[in-house]
Amino acid sequence: MPKHIASGLKYLAAVKLKDAGKSHQEIADELDVDRSTISHYLNGRNLSWNSIDVARTIIELCPPDFLKMAEAIFDEPEQSRKIVNICRERDFEVIIEDSCIGCGLCVNACTMRAIKLESLKAHADSIQCCGCELCSDDCPTNSIKILEIEYD
Amino acid sequence: MIRNLKEVKDNNFDITRSAEEVRNLSFNDHVCLGCGICESTCPVEAITLNAIAVDARHRISNDVYFSGHEKIAQNFKEDFDVQRISIDESKCVLCGMCSGLCPVDALVLTIDGTPIKEIEAYPHYNAFSDIDDDECIYCKRCEIACPRDAIVIERVLPDRADLVTGEIQVDDDECIYCGVCQELCPAEAIVVDQETGKESIVIDKDACVYCLVCKKACPTNAIKAVCRSCSYGEYDLDPAKAVVKGNSVIDSELCVFCGWCEGVCPTDAAKHKKPFEGSIEIDDEKCQACGACVDICGCNALAFPVSSGPGSRMEHVIANNDYCVKCKACAKACPNGAITVKRTEIDHTPISSTTWKEALDAIKD
Repeated sequence: MPKHIASGLKYLAAVKLKDAGKSHQEIADELDVDRSTISHYLNGRNLSWNSIDVARTIIELCPPDFLKMAEAIFDEPEQSRKIVNICRERDFEVIIEDSCIGCGLCVNACTMRAIKLESLKAHADSIQCCGCELCSDDCPTNSIKILEIEYD
Repeated sequence: MIRNLKEVKDNNFDITRSAEEVRNLSFNDHVCLGCGICESTCPVEAITLNAIAVDARHRISNDVYFSGHEKIAQNFKEDFDVQRISIDESKCVLCGMCSGLCPVDALVLTIDGTPIKEIEAYPHYNAFSDIDDDECIYCKRCEIACPRDAIVIERVLPDRADLVTGEIQVDDDECIYCGVCQELCPAEAIVVDQETGKESIVIDKDACVYCLVCKKACPTNAIKAVCRSCSYGEYDLDPAKAVVKGNSVIDSELCVFCGWCEGVCPTDAAKHKKPFEGSIEIDDEKCQACGACVDICGCNALAFPVSSGPGSRMEHVIANNDYCVKCKACAKACPNGAITVKRTEIDHTPISSTTWKEALDAIKD
């Protein structure tokens, strides 16, 4: 069953990447799936719509839950990181305030590997942020603010 | 969340967090000055400075009783032995601020095995101590003066035979084995066996300094001896052979940069620089001469004046600003608030982090 949901998530990721203008081969490389599977996905074949529905529900969960589900389904951090980054439907901006002491807890907490320490201060790559806020939950000085970007 | 692991051994402990990088904070109790900078600096209030005044008294004066020390003595327990500081590992985030601001190496944070001292991003105090072997005459004054026993001077003395030479021999026909020479010899170079039938006299030429005392005292003029330098002068004694050689080692872990070594050095060999500059003042009115500050001071910068005679009482402690590192441990230990230490200058490497800069500024007066 988790395997089917994983396929569902990959399908949704493939659709997103296609919308972003990527070729089947590029999508296959990105998702580490063979090219014919991607073609099948994108031609609307072989997947049960049920799996896709479940996958869609997962994506719509709040960011930390989506992240945890993805981690549980893929059981491989690199893969889940990729899927979350492609499929998440919201973008975030991470602000790290000067009160940061450089303890590195956020670096450890961030599953997306969006945070790095530099000159005793954390620096976040907002493009990688999935909005789970695990980092700000751990931050001892409350120095991390995560804002959702609204597009209109 | 990744949990910290704490490992305690004697009064030392390690706190470790292993994730993508391994952070380890180790505390060395015997190095700690008890200044409490870590306690006030910790951003998550994980550090507590323990009752070290009592502990210091215990360590120093196990069998000694000072009169007039009731304030400390009432807390004195035979088995009192605690870590100078405690760190709550569930609160500690291993940021390293305590380690970065510790004026000695009592708290050391390592990241993947590298101490933050060696990582450029972290601030370091500009402090040092050094003994120049070219200038050092290996007199050991610094070794004796060092309050932390951080200095070891190893010296190689010249051969005695290269400094004094001569000739000595005993005329066996004249010698009566009286033993006068043996008793007089300041170098203990002569052994006389006086037992009847087994009489003998042996002179150890390596030990003999040719002072000629034996020759002058011999009742039978049996000893013939000359001192080479007395007879011929010192022209053929090689001065290079009379030089004391050696090497000096300062234990960088124990050194507190107090400057005693430089203060007592008769040459220009010992040099130091303190991390902090400032002042220390004793309020004579408030000081009750309890001695807590003297016990706690890691620099021997505090002392009672030498008694002026029997029955005279020590009125108050005196501070030597030159050897004080302005750590403030004494001011914290003083039960009467009689000591005021001011840290006016802190010399550290440049730092870009705002919080770290603020933390360093906060320990300045």
